[in-house]
Formats: sequence, C-alpha cells, structure tokens
Amino acid sequence: MAIINLTVNGEKKTIEVDPEMPLLWAIRENLGLTGTKFGCGIAQCGSCTVRIDGESVRSCTYPLSAAEGKSIVTIEGLSEDNDHPVQQAWIEEQVPQCGYCQSGQIMNAAIFLEKNPHPTDEEIDQAMSGILCRCGCYTRIKKAVKRASLS
Amino acid sequence: METITRRKFIQLSSITGTFLIVGCVPGKEEATKVVTGLASQLKGINLNQFISIGTDNSILLFNHRPEMGQGTFQSIPMILAEELEVNIEDIDIHQSEANREVYGSQMVVGSRSIQTEYAKLRLMGATARELLKQAAANRWGINIKDCTAENAVISQTNGESFTYGELVEDAGKLDPPESPPLKDPSAFKIIGQPVWRSDIPLKTNGAAKYGIDISVPGMLHASIERSPVFLGKVLSFNEDEVLAVPGVKHVFKTSRQVYGRTREGVAVLAESYWASIKGRNVLKVEWDNQGLEEINSDTIFNKYRQESKKKGDELFGRGDALSILNSSAGVITAEYETPYQAHVPMEPMNAIVHIEEGRAEFWGSTQNPNGIKSFLSRQYEIDEANIKINYTFMGGGFGRRSMTDVAEEAADLSFKSGKPVKVVWSREDDQTQGPFRAASLNVLRAVVKDDEVKAVEHKVVAQEIRNQTGDSMEAGRQLMGGITTAYLFPNFTVRGVLQKHHVPISYWRAVYHSTNPFAHESFMDELAHATGRDPVEFRLNLLEHPRYRRVLEEAARITNWGEKKEGIGRGIAVVERSGAHFAMVVDVEKKDGGVFPKKITTVLDLGICINPDTVRAQTEGSIVMGLGAFYSGLTIENGAVAEQNFHTYQLLRIDQCPEIETHILESIADPDGAGESGLPTVAPALANAVFDLTGKRIRKLPVDLSVFG
Repeated sequence: MAIINLTVNGEKKTIEVDPEMPLLWAIRENLGLTGTKFGCGIAQCGSCTVRIDGESVRSCTYPLSAAEGKSIVTIEGLSEDNDHPVQQAWIEEQVPQCGYCQSGQIMNAAIFLEKNPHPTDEEIDQAMSGILCRCGCYTRIKKAVKRASLS
Repeated sequence: METITRRKFIQLSSITGTFLIVGCVPGKEEATKVVTGLASQLKGINLNQFISIGTDNSILLFNHRPEMGQGTFQSIPMILAEELEVNIEDIDIHQSEANREVYGSQMVVGSRSIQTEYAKLRLMGATARELLKQAAANRWGINIKDCTAENAVISQTNGESFTYGELVEDAGKLDPPESPPLKDPSAFKIIGQPVWRSDIPLKTNGAAKYGIDISVPGMLHASIERSPVFLGKVLSFNEDEVLAVPGVKHVFKTSRQVYGRTREGVAVLAESYWASIKGRNVLKVEWDNQGLEEINSDTIFNKYRQESKKKGDELFGRGDALSILNSSAGVITAEYETPYQAHVPMEPMNAIVHIEEGRAEFWGSTQNPNGIKSFLSRQYEIDEANIKINYTFMGGGFGRRSMTDVAEEAADLSFKSGKPVKVVWSREDDQTQGPFRAASLNVLRAVVKDDEVKAVEHKVVAQEIRNQTGDSMEAGRQLMGGITTAYLFPNFTVRGVLQKHHVPISYWRAVYHSTNPFAHESFMDELAHATGRDPVEFRLNLLEHPRYRRVLEEAARITNWGEKKEGIGRGIAVVERSGAHFAMVVDVEKKDGGVFPKKITTVLDLGICINPDTVRAQTEGSIVMGLGAFYSGLTIENGAVAEQNFHTYQLLRIDQCPEIETHILESIADPDGAGESGLPTVAPALANAVFDLTGKRIRKLPVDLSVFG
C-alpha cells in the first residue's frame, strides 16, 4: 500500500492504495466518482477516458503510481452546470442511447477540441475512433463534435 | 463514497392525500380494464401501470419497463401526455419496482414495450381526461361536449377554466366512462414529434447510475474465473494462496444455470474490485474438460454442412418445392455462413444480491426484473413479498440482460458469505463465456425456368435457443425468423435441421433475424440476376403484401434506384421484424484497395411512430451493430472462444461508420417494434452492393472488405 496524492476536479485528494491499481478504480471506488466507466480494462474502448495534464488518458490501464501529483479531470469536473459546449452539443444532437460510454466520448471530444478547435470531418473520425459505442451513436457523435467546434 | 441503500419506490399504497388515480388492473395484456378513483378509495387494489394526478397539478406516471437506451423512458409518457392533454414535461416518471403480480411482464425484449403499452396508455390518458372534463362540466352545469382539455386545464367557451388539480377531488368520485373517445391520429400533437429525451442530460455529465455504479454498505466484490472451455468442471483450486492476497476474504466454488446446463466457476471475494482481480490473478483452477475441447468453428460448420443434406423439418410450405427441386436439372444452390457473436454491452455484466434470513434484495441493470425475483424466491424459498428488486439504467442490453445468470452467481456468493456481494464480469468473461448469438448455416436452392422462379427451398441449420438440451431433435419455428414467406413463389419450403451441442446461445438483438435474412435476401439478389431482373422489380413481382411493397417502392424512389452512379455499387434488402417493415439500400465504393459502405438509406413502415428521433436512433444503432457483425465474429477453438477482448473482436468504430439516412413513412396503424429495425437488412444489402460493384458474392461472414477492391 502507498499514499498517493492527486488533484481531481480541482480538489486535492490523498488516498492509501495499492500503487499498481489502475487510476480508474481509485476514481470510482476510493473517490466515488462513478461517471468514469469500466469497459474493457485494456485501453481499447475508451469508456474510462479522463484528462490528465491536458491529455486524453485511458484510466483503466494508467497505474496510480504514475498519477502522483497530477491534475485529473473527470466527467463530473468538466463543467459546473452541464454547460460545456461539448455537453451542450451532445444534448442538442440527442446523442446518448444507453449512455454508458458517453463520459468517455465527451471527455475525449472536449480534450480533442482544446487542441484542435476547428477540425475537419476526417480529423473528428480519427480523434474519436478510440472510443467504442455499442449502441452505435456514431453519426450523432460526428454531428455533435462538429457542432461543439462551431460554438 | 455515495451509497444507495434501500431505494424508494413509490407504490399506490404509499400515496397519501388526495390524488386521482387511473390505472389498469392486472390481467392479460390485451384485456385492459381501467379503474379510477381517489388514492384513499383504491388502497389494496393492485393496479398495473397507473397515473396519479394531485391537487397541486402534479402528474406521476409509474413506468414498469426498464431502460437500456431504447428510449421507452420517453416514448411511454409521450403516449400518455397525448391523450391526457398535458405537456410531456408536466409528467414526472417514476420507475416502478419489479412485481409480476402487479405490473405483468416487465421484460424488455423483442421491441415489444411500445407495442404492448400503446393501447393501455391511451386508454388511461383518455379516461383521466374525460373524468376531469365531466367534473368541470358538472361544476358549470354544462354538457361535457362544451368542455375542452388542453395544457392540463379544462376550459369552456366563455373563457372560464379549472386546472386539473382543482378537479381531482370531484373527478375521483365519478364513475369512469365506458369507452372514452380516443384522439384521431391526425390530431396528435405529441406523438410523432421528435421530443427530446429526459434521460439524456443525465447521460452527459456522469450522473446517470448503472448497476455497476451501485455500492451497498458491507458488500464484498467478486470476480469469478469460469472454465474457458464450455462446461468445464472444477476439480480443485489453490484456495490458501488466494486467501493470502491482501483484501481477499473468501474463495468459493460457484455456478450458474445457462439454458439447462450448469456452468461452474471459482469466485474470489474481496474488499474492493481491484483486490478481487489481484486474488483472481493468483488463482489456479484445475478443470475437468474431458471431451469438451474437441469443438471448433471448423468442426461445427463441417458438421452443419453434413447435416444440411438431411431433409429436415418443414417450418413453412407452399406447393411442392421438394419434388420440383429433386427432379430438375440446373438447380441453383448457395450456402451462407454466419458466426457466433457476443452481445458485449458496454457496461460489463454485474449484479449485487444480498440474501438474508427470509428476505433478499437485488441491485443492478436488468432487462428482466421479474425473472430475478422469481429465481431468488424459488432458489432460497423466500416469499416474493420479501424480495426487493432495484433496477437502474442499463449500459446496453441487446438481449444479454434478459438472462438472470449473473444475479444467480451474486446470490450464491451472498448466501455463502452472508454479505451483500457485487459480481462484476471482466470484458474477457463477457466475450468468452456467452451465451452467444447462434452461428448458422443456411442452404438455399431454387429452380428457374423461362426466367421464372418455379421452386425455392430455404434450409436453416443451427442451434435453437428454446431447445438447447434434451432429446427432441425437431426444429421449431424460432429457427425461421426473418425469412420472408410473403414472397409468392408457387412452390416454397422453409426447413430446419436442428443442431445441439454445448456452445451456449441466447437472444441477441433481432435474434434469427440477424442471420437468416443475410442468406435469404442475398439469395433473392442471386435469383434476380438469374432471371435477368432488377432486384427491386424482381421482389415487387413476387410481393402482394402492401407494407413490403410500400417500403420497397419508397426506398427505390428516395434513392433513385434505377440511376447508375459511376464507381458506386448498390444493394437492396427488405425484411419485417416485430411488425416493422423496412427496406434498405446500401451504396458502396472502392477506396484504398477495399470496398466500403458509403451511405445506408433505410425506409421504415412501423405504424404510428411515437418519437421519430428515437426510432432513427434505434435504426442507426441497429445498422452499426449489423455492420460490426459483418466484419467481426467469434471463433471457437478447442472448446473455447478465441477472441478475448476488443483487440481481436472488433466492434465497429466511428471512422468505419458510413452516412446513415432513415426515412419513416406516415401511417395510422398501431405502432410496431422499432428497437431492431435495420439490423436484419444490413448484411444482405451490403453483400448485394459489393456484388453489384465487384461481381463477387459474399456468402460467409465475417468478411474483411478492406481487401475486396
């Protein structure tokens, strides 16, 4: 067991955990932020996507030892009132069906648009191709990322 | 950490104060009887779905169908609001608990929710509206015909009005009208509108809770190692070494039933999910796999090919197809193969169960809350009244969550440990354990003379979900799902050759409609070419059924079917599923050495469409799932699934998703099921388009189109 210091959604947190544990389970179980989801455990589906120091990271394979001292943003910390342009675009385009993967989709899209505010359709496809949606909301995700990029 | 303890479910018996209640008494789905009155008078009466209107104008609807992304969370209140003459946002939806006696079927399968609830919801809404109008008419001393209901207010021509809340007490004392007038569909204001879904904001900020997000005080986390080889039995395991892992509390042998077969595993129970995984990583189980490892996808299909030579059981027959086929030369024959598929909802399977003396409780995401309740009652001899089923949003279901097996595991482990136990399957567990969509071999034969099809035989060789064990080898009608017998071939036989072995199968979105139409509608395309006809014209010549004809004609018109486009191949298919009829046109093009779908256009006739945006979403999702199943499938190797996770079992990704266009045709017929529309047509329409462009027939799935150019 080890003491790990994290900044999550702007708040400093100290937890005592197995440092080999992936960040995802600390977020979900130790911090109780269940908006970040477990999907595959091998960084193939992206449901667990969070922002770490400005990058889009798959938290299911990110060891806690590497997160020490880092600033982490989860879906719960993306906006105060669900008013981030990506969240708004997701509502406007009525994207989610079951909704399970959408935290990962929204986080990945938000981080992508920070780096590339005016992407082409191909760039959107490429940036979002790491996040799986079994309900098949892809046509709406494309439209929503485009809409957010224009807002 | 947030915990949900005993989630509050409001029932009729807990409503106090003055409320007008309109509900249906339990009974056969079709025999709807409406009961009305004030809450205080109706205590003790079991009501199926019901609405409650308060003196403060509050309107509660008790919805008993779980939500997995299909959108009934929104479309059910839309139907009610239409007849009740209120705004959709005036209705507060409460999810009711699992209780078969009170609510009847709560299973969400086969695109049935709207089909079975539509008439009941309209009747309840219209009854409440007419009672409120009558109450107002009595107060004013006028005829009910001179009262109008709109926006939760009853008015008369002189401008006077009462809110619904002001009329609740009077309305509750009136006898309900025998048959309240239902609105003419042409007057619908809410039904047919693309109303935004109220669950969507919750699904954009992490607030929506799924089974996997629930945590109850004192619970243990369980991860279960199950035999990779189907039906392997536990011989021994290294319990002491696993118990030495920090956080691990117990190691138990456990099991679950899957369609009459016992599937064994060894569970590691720990204080946290991660500790259960660490324990499982050191767990070593010795399995008895004797005789179980000899099964492979190749051996399965080789066997199926041999079996296809059998005559099989007739599932549908017209004329005498077999004698014509057996006495004619130049019979056209084609074999089509489809693989096993996993459901893989994005939320891995999970369940929490707490078994206590004389009571039990479940928390989780399920398509079948009553099934879990019945199981717990039966298995642990607990009165259903003392079993609480708390169900959440589902992170996808696609049929997998209609089974109760994961709850069975959690119950067994709770019973053994005395604690509430949360079982979470890993993705590898989910993908390799099944049950799966059945693999199938379809063999089609036809005789064509003078450019006319004289006889057709469609033979399905597959396992049947309803008949997986036991001695009976007679094929059932389930096997012929998705085969269009409306094609008026003068001699037409559909036959099944039932297969039985121990690869577990179950209901997967669209079920046999996800496999048979690939063969059937591809073969129609082959026959169109064999008779020198255009594929649309060929089908129209054989179909009198107005809805098949309508969707085909509209699809041809909307896509300018007759017009040839340079570099574009086009394919069409038409299927009926859950009453909905749909035709699909797929356009493909060559790119980077492969052939890829560029655009998919679907034309649907599904009766009255409650929420067109939800129907479009379901169609888009069905197409994506169908495309994924075109490109990727499961392989059985040495008695186990070879593809362990998403790196080898490829679901469709966003950059593979073509343009999708969905057209919903106007109709005044009662609604059909929308949740699987589009899935059955994807494979044949795409394969037909690839043939149109390249001249190559695809008869075996999955297929890699990136090398097809």
